[in-house]
Amino acid sequence: MTLLFIILYAATLIYFALSERVRMFVVLLSIQGALLFGVVFFSLYKIELFDFIFILIETIMVKSIIIPWFLNKVRKHNNLKRVHEPFVPVFYSIIVAVISLLFSFLVSNYLKENQIHTVYFTVAFASVIFGLYFIIIHKNLFSHLVGYLIIENGIFLFSLTVGSVMPLMVNLAILLDVFMGVLVLGTFVNRIGNTFDSIEIDQLSKLKD
Amino acid sequence: MLIIFFIVSTVFGAIIFFAKSKVLSRLFFATFIVFQIALCIYAYLHPDMEDSLFYKFDSLGVLLTIVLTILSISTFYYSIIYLERKATKAKSESTYFAALIMFIAAMTSANFTENIALLWASIEATTLFVSVLIFHERTKDALEATWKYLFISSVGVAIAFIGILFMSIIGSKNGLSDLNFQNLATAAHNINTIWLKISFLLILTGFSVKLSLFPLFAVAIDAKTVAASPVNALMSTALTNVGFISIFRTYTIVAHTDALGWAQNILLLTGILSIFIAAIQLTRVKRLKRMYAFSTMEHMGIVSLGLAVGGIGYYAALLHIVFHSLVKAGLFYQINQIHALYKSKWINDFGGFFKISPVAGLSLLLGFISITAMPPSGLFVSEFLIFKALFIKNQIAIALITIILLTAIIYIMAKSFLRILYAPKPLNIEPMETFNSESVIPFILFGLVIYLGINPPLFFTDLIHSAIAVLN
Repeated sequence: MTLLFIILYAATLIYFALSERVRMFVVLLSIQGALLFGVVFFSLYKIELFDFIFILIETIMVKSIIIPWFLNKVRKHNNLKRVHEPFVPVFYSIIVAVISLLFSFLVSNYLKENQIHTVYFTVAFASVIFGLYFIIIHKNLFSHLVGYLIIENGIFLFSLTVGSVMPLMVNLAILLDVFMGVLVLGTFVNRIGNTFDSIEIDQLSKLKD
Repeated sequence: MLIIFFIVSTVFGAIIFFAKSKVLSRLFFATFIVFQIALCIYAYLHPDMEDSLFYKFDSLGVLLTIVLTILSISTFYYSIIYLERKATKAKSESTYFAALIMFIAAMTSANFTENIALLWASIEATTLFVSVLIFHERTKDALEATWKYLFISSVGVAIAFIGILFMSIIGSKNGLSDLNFQNLATAAHNINTIWLKISFLLILTGFSVKLSLFPLFAVAIDAKTVAASPVNALMSTALTNVGFISIFRTYTIVAHTDALGWAQNILLLTGILSIFIAAIQLTRVKRLKRMYAFSTMEHMGIVSLGLAVGGIGYYAALLHIVFHSLVKAGLFYQINQIHALYKSKWINDFGGFFKISPVAGLSLLLGFISITAMPPSGLFVSEFLIFKALFIKNQIAIALITIILLTAIIYIMAKSFLRILYAPKPLNIEPMETFNSESVIPFILFGLVIYLGINPPLFFTDLIHSAIAVLN
């Protein structure tokens, strides 16, 4: 069952490369959040109440509902519909997404360790690489924010991979930080949209000597 | 104790933020500083005591928190001068002080924490609060710098988090129930070194944003170009120290394994590249703040060289971090005065500072001598020790390249400083009173560095020695 969710997650990455509509990005992020919940839910051996509530809040509440809702507000504020003239044609992006999956598959096989869940590792690593690629090929700040969230989702999968032993308090602090970070970043996207003509990255090149 | 401190600072921050009153902001901030000093004394008197589950008052944390506290006091004083000079409204002043309190609290948390994941969370928190401070002036430049800093910092720190997750493989392999540095260090030799190498590389890359080292230095430089000078004084010192602490603690995990040599080479490479890029970029800088920002990068490069060679280099690196903090803060405090006098940010508009105000000019001259590590500056002692360590460990090529680059840097900085001090005075400059309180604190800070360099008191050297004891 977990495998299904993981594979669906990998499919969303390819869909990210394919879509040009900004609204689709938000929908995909929301789907990723729900898929992550599925992955965690079915990989737990026994369910403890506090952990379960925490995971529910982290994936469904934050990743799948609140952040996409907030991103939608930012999107409407800045009147974004399509990604204008991406650096790279969609076709190449799909190839890169596939290659990143393949590459991380090879890496995870090379780094084989019995502590590590290879399938999780592959998709998590691919997600981080693809997130970075997504930031590089897009020119507008909103897409950069989406790329950052793809990386964050990848890191969430990583933390399942290594079965990390973080206490609940620390996990809460991390969740709060990331959540606040996204809110602040989104607010700044709006501010840049108000101050400059658009939220293209080209606007931000004044600061140099 | 610490948990009470964090609750108090959060409450104070909230009160200041919502009250929107100048008097209340300053009153509560002053009270916060009293708490900070009390915490420092408490931590110093209870060495190596564990506190609030995830914290420990270890020597390195105590040392750097003392530096942070000293600089917080002077930053408070200069913030008031800065805000008065800009005729800031009560609302934006309250935002400023609320963010400053939370920023200092987050750095204190990062200094003392024993848990690697909580260290990450504290560093991410510093990013959020400092970006509010960078954005304080609300100009287009400030918006650009804040966005870049916030975004690249978040991505960089996220990359560092992957490194931390790889570190946690050590934990899950050895059945550790937490991610304390000490436990990780004792368990680290059990693990395949490739995980250690990857995670050290990722953590160094991610936190290089804070340490303003190669590779992610650029956003920190931009942020320091636009931030208010009192904020800069903390960003270039206490925040880089937080970056240093994160690298240092990770290094202690690696230090007892076979990956040590590899990590040392990485640090050598980052150090030398940072100094090299700083030297190149310094030839092009036209803004005083930017020059200081690149000078911070150069000094952090030297520190990472010290950390890389080991032996006496460890001691020298810590000495250098402390001295650099005090000197660089003193320099940043003066900037506000200079900008207000010339009504400009560009070095080319400055001149004749010595004639206009001999006292302030003298303190700038002393600052120049201190930051370029000429004797009697304490930085001379620490740099000398780092070079000694390089020669002892037979890294002669690295030492020679560094010496050449440093010579170039001293020449470039001398050109700018001497221009400010002795070039013909620009027209239409209003005279300044000969003696004002703004020039006094830099004198104290520079004097302190000279004193600590020549005749370090016993408690100071003891703190450094016990901080590096884990590495030897």
